[in-house]
Amino acid sequence: MSETNRIGVFLCHCGGNISDNVDLDKIEEKLSENEEICSIKHHENLCSLEGRNIIKDQILRENLDKVVISACSKITHGATFQKYIQPLNPYLFEMPNVREQCSWVTEDKDKSTKKALSLINSAIETVKYNEPLKKIPTKVKNSVLVIGAGISGITTANSLAKQGMEVTLIEKRPAVGGAMIQVGKVFTPDKMSEDCAACLLNPVIDEMVHNDKITLLTNTVLERSSRNAGNFDVILRKKPDYIDPEKCTSCGKCTQACPSFAPDEWNEGLNNRKAVYKPFPQAVPSTYTLDDDFCIKCGACINVCPTNAINLDAIDEIISLTVGAVVIATGHQRFDTNKRPEYGHPFYEDVLSQMQLARLMGINGPTNGHLQVPSTGKVPRRVVMIQCVGSRDQMPDGHKYCSKVCCMVALKNANLIHSHYPDTEVIICYTDIRTPGVYEKYYKYVQDNGIQLIRGRPGEIAREDDHLIVRIEDTLTHNKQEIPTDLVVLSAALESSQGTIDAAKTLGVPLTEDKFIKEKHPKMQPVSTDIEGIFVCGTAQGPKDITDSIIQANTASTKISELINGGLEVEPHIASINVKKCVLCGKCVDNCRYQALSIYQNSIRVGPIACTGCGDCIITCPQEAISIQGQSDERLEASIKGILKDKDDDEQIIIAFLDDIGNVSANNMGINRVECPSSIRIINVPFINRVKYKHIKYALTHGADGVFLGEYPDSYKHDEIRENVQVMKKHLQEDGINPERLIIHSVFIPYFRGLASQFKEFDDVLATLSS
Amino acid sequence: MVDVDKFIPTENITLFRSCLVSAEYPGVEASTKFVFDKLGVEYVIDRNQSCCTGLGHYYDIFDELSTTALAARNFSYAIRNNHKQYVPMCATCYAILKTSAKILNEKDDVREEINKAFRENGLEEFQYNKGDIDPRDDITHVVDVLYYLKDKIPEFKKRDISNLTIATHHGCHYCKVHYNDTLCGYRNPEIIDKICEVMEAPALQWYDHKPRHCGSGFRQRYANRELSLDATVDKFESLHKEKVDVLLVMCPNCQLQFDRYEQVLEDMTGDKHYFAVMNIAQLVALYMGADPYKVLGIQTHTVNVEPLLDKLGIEYDSTEDTLHVRNE
Repeated sequence: MSETNRIGVFLCHCGGNISDNVDLDKIEEKLSENEEICSIKHHENLCSLEGRNIIKDQILRENLDKVVISACSKITHGATFQKYIQPLNPYLFEMPNVREQCSWVTEDKDKSTKKALSLINSAIETVKYNEPLKKIPTKVKNSVLVIGAGISGITTANSLAKQGMEVTLIEKRPAVGGAMIQVGKVFTPDKMSEDCAACLLNPVIDEMVHNDKITLLTNTVLERSSRNAGNFDVILRKKPDYIDPEKCTSCGKCTQACPSFAPDEWNEGLNNRKAVYKPFPQAVPSTYTLDDDFCIKCGACINVCPTNAINLDAIDEIISLTVGAVVIATGHQRFDTNKRPEYGHPFYEDVLSQMQLARLMGINGPTNGHLQVPSTGKVPRRVVMIQCVGSRDQMPDGHKYCSKVCCMVALKNANLIHSHYPDTEVIICYTDIRTPGVYEKYYKYVQDNGIQLIRGRPGEIAREDDHLIVRIEDTLTHNKQEIPTDLVVLSAALESSQGTIDAAKTLGVPLTEDKFIKEKHPKMQPVSTDIEGIFVCGTAQGPKDITDSIIQANTASTKISELINGGLEVEPHIASINVKKCVLCGKCVDNCRYQALSIYQNSIRVGPIACTGCGDCIITCPQEAISIQGQSDERLEASIKGILKDKDDDEQIIIAFLDDIGNVSANNMGINRVECPSSIRIINVPFINRVKYKHIKYALTHGADGVFLGEYPDSYKHDEIRENVQVMKKHLQEDGINPERLIIHSVFIPYFRGLASQFKEFDDVLATLSS
Repeated sequence: MVDVDKFIPTENITLFRSCLVSAEYPGVEASTKFVFDKLGVEYVIDRNQSCCTGLGHYYDIFDELSTTALAARNFSYAIRNNHKQYVPMCATCYAILKTSAKILNEKDDVREEINKAFRENGLEEFQYNKGDIDPRDDITHVVDVLYYLKDKIPEFKKRDISNLTIATHHGCHYCKVHYNDTLCGYRNPEIIDKICEVMEAPALQWYDHKPRHCGSGFRQRYANRELSLDATVDKFESLHKEKVDVLLVMCPNCQLQFDRYEQVLEDMTGDKHYFAVMNIAQLVALYMGADPYKVLGIQTHTVNVEPLLDKLGIEYDSTEDTLHVRNE
């Protein structure tokens, strides 16, 4: 703050919107008493080009260094006036909202004028603390880590590489392709057909393999990650290459020689494989791999390998990388059907999961595509499918959500059975059939093919003689039935994979209550996470089908391109550290949910992309060494001081600190001309936690009758904020101030009428308190 | 001791008595005490305790408010007695007490209404303060305690019971009312099975209808007798098919349904295969050498337990049974 200020005040009439209900002459008269104000000008419409000339002219003529423009909301014309005040720095002005938050919501002209004056005074006091700031240009490294090489990860990797980025694609398993390569067939609703999944996926995989900008690392997991300014330093761990991929010719002699067996994951445990093996015939990479959980290190494979490719003493490889962005494409796993013993999966071998059925029908499956009842080896006479196993389940060990794809999966597999084995009857027991959009046509098509559907969730499955019995109540007819069948197929829920949960933990990304990756906003920002630079796509974010996964994968790559290729100009309201006060305790680093802070070369570094300016670090810092640029404590205090400056003795004033959502809600109050008590003076703060106890105490001891906090409750800080208010109320009590003078309410954009009535109610309460 | 994620008490216990246990199978209480004494569990019986209202509650005779008020009264005795760990023998008492504690902690208006009623009637000492009882940690079923101490059970082995075919039947109100407090599963409940394992008498891993209820349904048994018994029949037939020697229960309601109605069920199904019905505490007591009549109280069972004792080679004096009418 400079010693003396040369402030110019411009009063916009807004074509009568303001001037009809605010006596601007009276305001001018009052303001002219203030020595620091060097110029006061009126205009019909300051936002016009004429207005621009007036503002510019006065700045140059009067040598102004700060400007206050009394007009509408910053949202409407903030950017306009930021340009109009050139040659001044664009952050050296304030805009008291005298339209939406004053003239439009106050009926009495005297009261409205009084309120407008106090809002302008507040802006004058505030602007004194405004500093010249610059938007921060940022650049992040042109490389990306993609975790998970299923359809989502591969799609993102391909798209990023084509846009010129260096991509490292890692996969925990020995081969790429994820769930899609395993399912065998996918449905095509417009053709009413089931197509070969591998045939659709292989070109995509080929593209990835042949792109020089993509480095594929299989058998590799993310071990550690730390944020380094805009980039991420990551450490990857690759399992030992027991079989040298350069030397292996995929002859298969090692597998023949290996004496040790393990359940075959590719076929969902329906058969066994050897400890040294190739995951499946078309696997990429095509080399053999060794499962060290089952290898007994006998050396039989070494003896037969013609190229000496095998080394049983190989060790892990640790790889470190710096990348500009990370994509979580870690996919899903399927609900453990052993958790539903009543469906007999643990007890009866003829109870399968949909994926096991898919493997059984897969040409590269354990029976070469022949559908056989496991216990008899015969073609089943009847197959009963059970939907929603682990989905739409209210019990603690189930998932409350719908897994979204299971209806289509069941219909697809049912139709496949029907077309290959027309004598086999298929019954689907469902809760509701969910086939939105064109999928509905496929549903009808399958139904017309003779697949039977029963609405109901079976109670249990029992074994009787040579077959199984499915007990179900048809909830449309209320008939209880016992359906004899050879095969039962369970449609298990899609759930978050262990890989997803591990990646979230390593990267510090929050999970939803269902343990999927939480997006920044489920509607508006569906591929971003709370950590700027970390993105999510595919089933790591929630159940979805192949089409949706691909859409999301491409969206993620576009968002990364914006970040990396576009370069960003970031608003300057970010944390700044006073190095003289900072003792490098690291509390702010640990506490920052956005991973915006890091310790680098004996100082705290703020990542401008990651920092949201929430100010949470200010509260955690024991040294009070942190401030938000352009939003100091002193500035906030000045805003309060200005409001209370010309307060009359009989006047009631409520200072309402509203977050951005609350501020928009208050503007809506004006736009809809909902009356608001004239006592309300709004100060817009970026986050409610920004308001400290000292500010509240200052307000209540310097003339404010009450303090209202308006908080959008959908934030992770909500509970803490509410607790904090309770603590502040206690402090008030200790300081001899009636705690009822402080209140907090939730705010929502559409509920401006609610906000108005909360203001009114508080106004009334305070009136009775003072009397 | 077994690692569990809820608190299981071994001291400061009020063994919460059950109407059905006392009236129908008093040997269950005697067996529980016998086993607790062996295992060194510290407990008291409180003669001031009242019924939990369970049967009446599910008959719609007692409403939620009276049930909760009665629970508040019982809790106050347990607290004043310095034995606030309630351990019921009956699954219904377990669930009702838990629900009541939850209501008393969470619903301020209900708690206040009950406290007001106490005050107005000179019963201030029964007043309940929010948080007096933790529904999760302060109310545990006898089976929870046995499970927790199961590894100590073999130290007191007196009899070999390993040649029994055992089926377990778990109380619905233990498994399915407060899911989060249920140990060892509720879709395939296994807590009794785990106790059997340590006695080297493993139960059937699974049988058809295992997680099904017994059919008693409180009022259903009396008001809708046919509906109630229809449900019991399914399980009864499945047990016959498995040729079990004994059905183990953890709730006197279930015991009553299978034991007292055995003849009716046999008439309904035409199935005649002998199996005894016992509470798990009775079997543990038997394993630890308890007297079949003086402790287990088998004379109160409708289905004779003596054939089971014969199979196990346990000697007994049948004249101690003064209840059954014998055709001698």
